[in-house]
Amino acid sequence: MVETQQSNKEELMAATPLLRARGISKYFGAVQALVDVDLEVDAHEVVALVGDNAAGKSTLARVIAGVHAPDEGTLEIDGEQVRTFTTRAARANGVATVFQELALAENLDVTANIFLGQELPDRGLLDEEAMETLARGYLKDLNARIPSPRTPVAHLTAGQRQCVAIARTLVGKPRIIVLDEPTSSLSVAQTAEVLTHIEQLRSMGLGVVIISHNLTDIRAVADRIEVLRHGRNNGSFIAAETAYEDIIAAITGAPRTSRRLA
Amino acid sequence: MATMRGTSGSQSSLREANSERLLDAVRQFGSITQVELAQATGLSPATVSTIVKQLLETGVVETRHTIRSGRRAQLVTIAHRAGLLVAVHVGERTMRLAIADSSFDFLEQRSLPLPVDHRHDTTLDRAAVLVAELVDGLGSSLSEVLAVGVGLPAPVDPATGRISVPGILRGWEDIPVAEVLERRIGAPIAVHNDANLGALGELRFGAARGASDLLYVRASYGVGGGVIVAGALHQGHRGLAGELGHALVDAQGPICRCGSRGCLNTVCGAQALVDSLRHSRGSLTLTDVLDLASDGDPGCQQVIIDAGAAIGTVAANTAVSLGPRLIIVGGELAQAGPLVLEPLRDAVRRRVPLAQGTALEVQAAQLGLDAELYGGLAVAADLAHVTARAV
Repeated sequence: MVETQQSNKEELMAATPLLRARGISKYFGAVQALVDVDLEVDAHEVVALVGDNAAGKSTLARVIAGVHAPDEGTLEIDGEQVRTFTTRAARANGVATVFQELALAENLDVTANIFLGQELPDRGLLDEEAMETLARGYLKDLNARIPSPRTPVAHLTAGQRQCVAIARTLVGKPRIIVLDEPTSSLSVAQTAEVLTHIEQLRSMGLGVVIISHNLTDIRAVADRIEVLRHGRNNGSFIAAETAYEDIIAAITGAPRTSRRLA
Repeated sequence: MATMRGTSGSQSSLREANSERLLDAVRQFGSITQVELAQATGLSPATVSTIVKQLLETGVVETRHTIRSGRRAQLVTIAHRAGLLVAVHVGERTMRLAIADSSFDFLEQRSLPLPVDHRHDTTLDRAAVLVAELVDGLGSSLSEVLAVGVGLPAPVDPATGRISVPGILRGWEDIPVAEVLERRIGAPIAVHNDANLGALGELRFGAARGASDLLYVRASYGVGGGVIVAGALHQGHRGLAGELGHALVDAQGPICRCGSRGCLNTVCGAQALVDSLRHSRGSLTLTDVLDLASDGDPGCQQVIIDAGAAIGTVAANTAVSLGPRLIIVGGELAQAGPLVLEPLRDAVRRRVPLAQGTALEVQAAQLGLDAELYGGLAVAADLAHVTARAV
């Protein structure tokens, strides 16, 4: 079972955000992927990154995940500035990422996939029993609908695979989870499961960054919606208080008509 | 799950335990192959095969062929010859959906988080697709769906099946929900207020079984009520009976979504609860408030206690005019248990006539958040003329 941050509830009111990116810029040759981007994520909060294709969402996620080092700007996790940008360092800092390509091994079972590359040793061998018990715990925490941790991943649906990929991130007891397009190409029933998992992660006190194109999914689970446009911040919205139209206007750069009815 | 029953006992009791375990797995996953059953239960493939054969003979399960990772596999599902019943509960922030057989056992269940002020077209489209996907997952087709019971968090006019008070569920006012879903699902649809379904659910399957007069209070994002008089649902003119959330509690209060001043919902609706915590606790959701309260946060507990007291006053007044024998409290707030129930009981106790003789009882919904789904199944069954076999 994940005894994730019982203290997170107190962190609700903490002044330092769990994750703070300031003035992040990233260039790929002549391409400005990110220009002076800010992002904050608190514990117990779901922040959605939205924007058009090539707006910089995935690049920002990759900077947070340690895949790319930013050319300018700083990234702080829990007030500590990140200096090494590697995926290993990010994991050590409590940042776990689920990319669009889930990188699961079809032929291995659920437990083996969850612990892939982070197996628990037991006197030189693998502690299969402990791993299976933990895997069961993670699946339970996520309200997963997977028959058994011994099911080979090849037998799972797209939604169940997403769940295994999320469960895998829980192994390192992360504080921040980044999900890149978790509901794209899922059926509605599978989307329902994944959105429920995201709510569960939030209740466990984690900070969640979710990238998605689907505004309905995002407005259902996100607390805050951050819009990126051409690699720049283009608006920050409280999900519960914002209409689709305002978010779409920020994504497309349309002039916003302030016709909000109370 | 992996642990065996304490004593091994006789051969037959072992077989019985194994078959029970296997049935649990089939029920949990709706449809599952024999290979997966062996993995899920820890039984040997041979044992699974034998038990499935027995269950097949007695008509408890059905099997059909399928392909899993390129191999032929035997898909096992619970037999549901009498067809399927579907309940859809559209809430403020969640859609819950259940598919059951005619004995009202859930075969499948899903819950889908919804955005604030979700839109009727997207939500109903997702509801229809979800029903189709889940029915398909059970190895059945939409033609086996007998009827669907739908609950909405707003009063529904029984004459028209439409929402009768504008503003409560924004944008859904003139939507013929039954027609929209019937076109997609192809089965008859009954649309009701969700608290009415909760009342029916508890009456047929929950804490109020056998009761004839009952007030069901649904304390959720807003407060709703379902009234059972002489064993039957009382909907009232335009379905307005039991709209507790729109009873006056503060003559100087703010204007409610419905347009009138000082409704109960302006005092203890989700918005009012999180607003009163914003200053000290930052921005929270209703789920956060409930989580924090159960973790012992005194501020969040206070908010829930006060909500219980406010709901209690209105429920007690309603009880004085309706004379129920039982008040059942459901909805998300009921999950807070005594925090919300005690002040509610207190308010009821203070109406002396209610507290005399066989006192009016106040209980939490036995079916929890599933009460509305069971009610949905009940109206679906009635619509489909399936004889209810309440167990």
